[in-house]
Amino acid sequence: MGPGLTGYIIRRLLWAIPVLFILSVVVFWMLRLAPGDPIESRLGKAYTPEAAARLREKYGYTQPIPVQYVKYIKNLLQGDLGVSTRHPDFTAAEIILPKMWVSTQIGFFALLITFALGIPVGVYAALARGTFVDPMVISSWLLLDAIPAFVLVPMAQWLFALKLGWVGLRYEGVYTMNMVVPVLILALPGVAGVARLMRASVIGVMGEDFVRTARAKGLRERTVVVTHITRNALLPMITVIGLSLPGIAAGALFVEQLFGIPGIGRESLEAVTAPDFDVILALVLFSSFLFVMANVLVDVVYAFIDPRVRISSGRG
Amino acid sequence: MSNRTLTLMMGFVAFLILVVGVILIVVVASGGGDDNGGTTQADSSSGSAKTKTTASSSSASGICAGNTLYVPGNDPNSLLDPIQVVDVGTSEYVVEIFGGLVTLGLDLKVQPDIAKRWDVAQDGTTYTFHLRDDVVFHNGKRVTARDFKYSLERAADPTNASPTVKAYLGDVVGIRDRFDGKAASVSGVKDVDDRTLQLTLIDPSDFFLAELTYPVAFVVDKDQVEKDPRNWTRKPNGTGPFKLAEFSPTEKIRLVKNDRYHLGAPKLDEIDFQLSGGSIVTQYQNNELHVGFVPGVDLEAVKSGSSPVSKDYHPQPNMATLYINLNPKKPPFDDPKVRQAFAMSIDRENINTVLLYGTQRVATSFLPPEMPGHSDNVTGYSYDPDRAKQLIKESKYATNMPRVVLNYGGSAGNDPQLLQAIQKGWQDILGVQVDLQAIDTTAFLREQRKGNFQMLSDGWSADYPDPEDFLGKLFASDSTLNYTGYKNDDVDALLQQARRETDRTTRFTLYNQAEKKILDDAVVIPTFWPVDHLLVKPCVKNFPTVSMTVPKYRYVEIKP
Repeated sequence: MGPGLTGYIIRRLLWAIPVLFILSVVVFWMLRLAPGDPIESRLGKAYTPEAAARLREKYGYTQPIPVQYVKYIKNLLQGDLGVSTRHPDFTAAEIILPKMWVSTQIGFFALLITFALGIPVGVYAALARGTFVDPMVISSWLLLDAIPAFVLVPMAQWLFALKLGWVGLRYEGVYTMNMVVPVLILALPGVAGVARLMRASVIGVMGEDFVRTARAKGLRERTVVVTHITRNALLPMITVIGLSLPGIAAGALFVEQLFGIPGIGRESLEAVTAPDFDVILALVLFSSFLFVMANVLVDVVYAFIDPRVRISSGRG
Repeated sequence: MSNRTLTLMMGFVAFLILVVGVILIVVVASGGGDDNGGTTQADSSSGSAKTKTTASSSSASGICAGNTLYVPGNDPNSLLDPIQVVDVGTSEYVVEIFGGLVTLGLDLKVQPDIAKRWDVAQDGTTYTFHLRDDVVFHNGKRVTARDFKYSLERAADPTNASPTVKAYLGDVVGIRDRFDGKAASVSGVKDVDDRTLQLTLIDPSDFFLAELTYPVAFVVDKDQVEKDPRNWTRKPNGTGPFKLAEFSPTEKIRLVKNDRYHLGAPKLDEIDFQLSGGSIVTQYQNNELHVGFVPGVDLEAVKSGSSPVSKDYHPQPNMATLYINLNPKKPPFDDPKVRQAFAMSIDRENINTVLLYGTQRVATSFLPPEMPGHSDNVTGYSYDPDRAKQLIKESKYATNMPRVVLNYGGSAGNDPQLLQAIQKGWQDILGVQVDLQAIDTTAFLREQRKGNFQMLSDGWSADYPDPEDFLGKLFASDSTLNYTGYKNDDVDALLQQARRETDRTTRFTLYNQAEKKILDDAVVIPTFWPVDHLLVKPCVKNFPTVSMTVPKYRYVEIKP
C-alpha cells in the first residue's frame, strides 16, 4: 500500500467526521421535535405529570435542546452513547452492539451465499444467451425472490422443523443448526438480482476487444471464460458487494421477527416506535459510519485489483 | 456453444452443491462453539429432540427430560428494580427475584413472606411486622428490618423518581412528604430492632397489606445498590425464589433457583424466558417450549377436543376487565340515554358464542369474578335492543346523531374483530355508524389523559386483589387514572368511605354500591373478563392457574 493510498484512506475517514456531525445534529433535533415521547411510552399507564417530570429531569430532557446536544456530544467523545429509555439499566451501546453483531454474522453468511450462487448463475446465463436456458435460469431464481418472507418462513418452518425435524426454531446462538433456514431464506431471494447484474456485466465484457484477442490467440475456451471474461466482469460487482455490506448490519426485520433472532432489525423498530432517543441516534451514527467505511473499502479494493483505477492524491 | 454450455452447466451444478455443502458443514460443525455458553444440559437434550423426526410424544421427552422450563416471556418495559416497575411484563420477573414483608399466594390471599407475623394496633394505623430470622439475600446476607427501612426510604426518595410509590405506599405517614421533597426521611417507617419493623399509616386501611404485595414495597440490598447504583439491577441481590442469571433485552431472561428460599426452594433448576418472540406456536409444536399459546384459528378445535394439543389446553382467566369508555363530556354521550342505549346494544353472549367459541367470560359487572368483593348481584345494563332503540328515540340526538369514533390502542390487547362485532350491533340496532380508529399505545394514553375522545376501548388488570384497585383508581374523581373525568359525588363519597372502612364486609358492600352507581351512569360498559389460552406440555406439573402476577414458578415441576 503506497503512501498515496494510506493518505487517501485517512482523508476519507476524516471526511466521515463532518458527515456524522451534521447527521447527529439533524437527527438529534428531529427526535426531540417529533411528537413521540420516550418518557410517556416508558411510563405507560403509570404516567402522571409528576412522575414524567421527574424522569425528564433525570434524563436531562428538560434542558434546552442545544444544551442537551452539547452534553450528548461530550459524552459521545468519551465513548458514551447514552442510555436506553426502554431498558434503563443498559447503555445504548450495550443494547446495540450485541444485536448488530448477531445481525452482521447472519447477514454475512447470507450475503456470502447470495454472491456465491448469484455470480456463477449470472455467468452461466450470459454464456447461454440466446437459448431458452438463459431466461429459464434467471426466472427460476426470480421465483424465490417473488415469494414474500412471511409466506416462505412459515413454509420452511413447517417443512424443516415440524415435518423433517432437521432444525429447531428456538434461537440458541448464531452458529447453530437452527440458523441454517433463516440464513438461506435471507440469501436465496437475492440470488436473482446478483445473477442479473453479473449477466449484464459478462455480456458487456464478452464484446470487448481483449476477449476477441484472447480467442484469436487460440486460448482454450475455459481460460477465456474464467480469466478474461469472468475476472473482468467481476469488477463492477465489487461495488455491489461493498455497498451491501453496511446493509447486513442493519438486520432483517421479518426474518429476525419470525425466527426470534435477537438482531438489530427488530431492535431498530422497537427503538423507533418507543422512541428511544439515544438508541436511535446510536443506530444512525453506526450505520452511517459503516456506510462510509464500505465506500472506502470499495475504493481501496478497486485500487488493489484493477490497475486502471488509480487513486490520485487530489481525490477526496 | 452447446458443448460448452453443457460443460458449464455441470461445472456450475457441482459448484453449487459444493458451496451449499461447505457452508452447511461449517455452520453445523461450529455449532459447538455456541456463543451463549450458559445453558448446557438442557440444550443438548433439546438438541436431541430436534433430530427426531416424528412422534411428538417421543421428542417431547427432550424438553421434559431436563429440569429447565422454557416459556415465552414479555420483554420487560422497565428496570428490574422493584420501585421502577410499572408493567405486568416486568413484574412477572420482579416477583420471582425479589420479595417483601408479605406476598400473594396462588389463592390471591395475602400471606407472610419475610414477615412471619404482624400486629395491628387498636386504632388500625400502626402495623408491627415481626421478621423471620432465616431470610437471606441471594448472596447469603441476612435480611433485617434495617434493609426494609432503607428500601422504603429509597422508594420514597424523590431522586429515584419511582412512578408507583405514591399510589401504593402513600398511605404510610411521611412517604408523600419525602417524595415531595418536604422531608429528609420517612417518619412512618421505624426499625424497632433487627427483627421488628413498624409502619404507621395516615388512616386505617383494610387493603394496606394487599398494597404491600406490590413490588414497590420489596426489599433490596443496600450494600449492592449503593456500591453500584447504576448497574445493580443486572444481577439484583433479591430474596425471591429465583435468581437472575442472565438478561439480554429482547433475547432472553434466565432465572435459576434459589436453594435457600425461605418458603421452600423451587423444584425447577432454571426458567428460560424467551423474549425474542419467533413462532411461539410452531416452537411449542416442535417441543421447544413448555408453554405456548393457542392460535386464534385453532381455538375451536383445541377447545372441542378435536386438536392433538387439546389435552394441553390451559385456560388462564385474567383478573381484568375489558370495557368501553363513553366520554360524558363529548356529544352524543353527554346524554345519558345515548350512553344507556349503547350499553344495551352489545350482545356479549352472542359475540362470545359465535366469535370467540365460548372461550371468554361475559362481563356482567365491572369487578372481575376473581376479585374479592365481586358480587353477582351487581350488574350493568344487559342486552335489550328494543329498549335501546326506544332510548335513542327519546334522546336529544334522535335525529342529529354526530359522527362517533371509537379509539383503541394498537397494542392494548384489543381484538379489532371483537370491536367490529360490537360496532355491528350499534349499527344494526341503533343505526349509528361508529368508526373504529387504532392509534399507537402511547398516543392512545395521551389522548385519554387529555380527555380527547368520544369512546375508547380499553382494559384494566389488577395490581393487587382489592376493589380499590379498580373502582378507586378509575372512577374516583381525584384519581389520576380517571381519564373520562367521571365525577359522581355519591360515588366519590362511597369510595372515600370504603377506603377508610376497616370491616371487610362493610367495605365490600360500599364498593358494590359504588360499582352499581358507576354502571348505572353508563360511562363505562364492561364487555368481557378475558381468558388467556395457554398450552402447557403434559410433563409440566402444577402449572398454576392464577389470574394475577404472583410468584408462581416455585410450585412448577417437570416430570416426564
